[in-house]
Amino acid sequence: MKDYIGAPLLAALQQAFPSAEYDSEAAQPAVFVPAAELTALLTFLRDDGRFGFARLENLTAVDYKTYFEMVYHLFAWGANTWITVKVKLDHEAPSVPSVTGVFPGAAFEEREVYDLMGIEFSGHPDLRRILLAEDFTGHPLRKDYRQAAPPKVPRLRREGGRVYAAD
Amino acid sequence: MPQTETYILNMGPQHPSTHGVLRVNLELDGERILRATPMMGYLHRGIEKLLEARTYVQGVPYTDRLDYVSSMNNNFGYCRAVEELAGIEVPERAEYIRVIMAELNRIASHQVFIGSLANDLGASTGMLYTFRDREEILDLFDLVCGARMTFHYIRVGGVARDLPPEFAEKCRKFLDRVPEFTAEYANLLMGNEIFQRRLKGVSRLTPEQALAHNMTGPNIRATGIPFDIRKVDGYSVYPRFGFEVPVGENGDNWDRFQVRFREITESARIVRQALDGLPEGPVMAKFPKMLKPPQGEVFSRTEGTRGELGFYIVSDGTAKPYRVHIRRPSFINMQALDDMCRGYLIGDSVVAFSAIDPLMGEVDC
Repeated sequence: MKDYIGAPLLAALQQAFPSAEYDSEAAQPAVFVPAAELTALLTFLRDDGRFGFARLENLTAVDYKTYFEMVYHLFAWGANTWITVKVKLDHEAPSVPSVTGVFPGAAFEEREVYDLMGIEFSGHPDLRRILLAEDFTGHPLRKDYRQAAPPKVPRLRREGGRVYAAD
Repeated sequence: MPQTETYILNMGPQHPSTHGVLRVNLELDGERILRATPMMGYLHRGIEKLLEARTYVQGVPYTDRLDYVSSMNNNFGYCRAVEELAGIEVPERAEYIRVIMAELNRIASHQVFIGSLANDLGASTGMLYTFRDREEILDLFDLVCGARMTFHYIRVGGVARDLPPEFAEKCRKFLDRVPEFTAEYANLLMGNEIFQRRLKGVSRLTPEQALAHNMTGPNIRATGIPFDIRKVDGYSVYPRFGFEVPVGENGDNWDRFQVRFREITESARIVRQALDGLPEGPVMAKFPKMLKPPQGEVFSRTEGTRGELGFYIVSDGTAKPYRVHIRRPSFINMQALDDMCRGYLIGDSVVAFSAIDPLMGEVDC
């Protein structure tokens, strides 16, 4: 990531959203925000003239075993600056508001995260599994996912032109 | 009392026009499409999960199998992300070779697009012409890495081996042929009345719609927005080369075809400049065999043939990535399919898939 949003703008962001947190020591700090304020923050970043983050380039989630982290990479074309917004989610029942109201192009990526990571997106217009079959159980990108054993196929035994099931 | 109902038709997954295994659920009113819902996942292999169980260097061949028509570009994107994460400086000669390979692969991929678009419109001959010329690029790749697909040539830190001595001459011979065969495609297809009427004004998208669907690559440039990561980010050695970013005006299928068609010439320009300026030197950076990038994360993107190809990699300081997410352009571009089909005829849906140019290996990942 080339040009990360500068410290003055990050301070301005925190003034508008006091609950947003970031590590002021880091070179490219990610802005952590509570789930309830996510859509308001993204709308602010998109519409405020000082920021102008009109493109949501990437949306994904990471499983850190004790919690989930939603990751949003926003890009301001023109100023060519980046910002990373993150939301920490509870591992038991992860749920986050859908950002499709702010960035409609996030619809498929949110479905993908729902499918593979098992995070609920409240307010998503069409939240279904996207890559896996609808009757699939589990979420493969979670760290505690274990693949089910392959089905047992009975072995056959041949004797004198006849076939028996070998138990 | 007669009643009319909408009719659901499944296009695919075995339909030849769906470029692999895509199923599109079409809701029809007679011949008119009311809604098109893409159903994907038939080629899902879980590459993101597989990469978590491999070392960083072992992950490169998996990226070949994402967008298998432009493997070089995928290798390039993944290697750039790992290098940024681990802080590896790539030798200049390797960067030039990478750009040459990526642009040659872009030409090959656009030839597949033009050929399959012509084929989907019933002009099977078009496919024969483009595939004939694509062979020349595949021969060049065969020369440098011994494979015609899934190359695994661009590696973390550089490229696998230096160019063979006869490469430059053969590559120039191919570049001299570019104006010849593009003129031939133009002559063969563009004047054709059926070709024009099936593409012009069909599946139009406004720039606002394209932005809302987060489209990238030739699909967004066809609506007139010059969003090309090679220009926007200026990564690798691209800023040293002069090239134009072709854009369309109307955002219809004709413009999507035109943008890709003109990109062939621009890519050839880049390859020629890179060949002219190719510096001497090593082609591989020095870094430890067992690569352990420091704890942290990176989101790195390149301009793939189908749009913005991004890799988000989280490192926990061990030899294997903790999490890899791939932002696949085809997957996100598919969101526009509904807007591109609504109100048009069933036959136009075939052209709409073709014009988005999705590659199912990349969509399903």
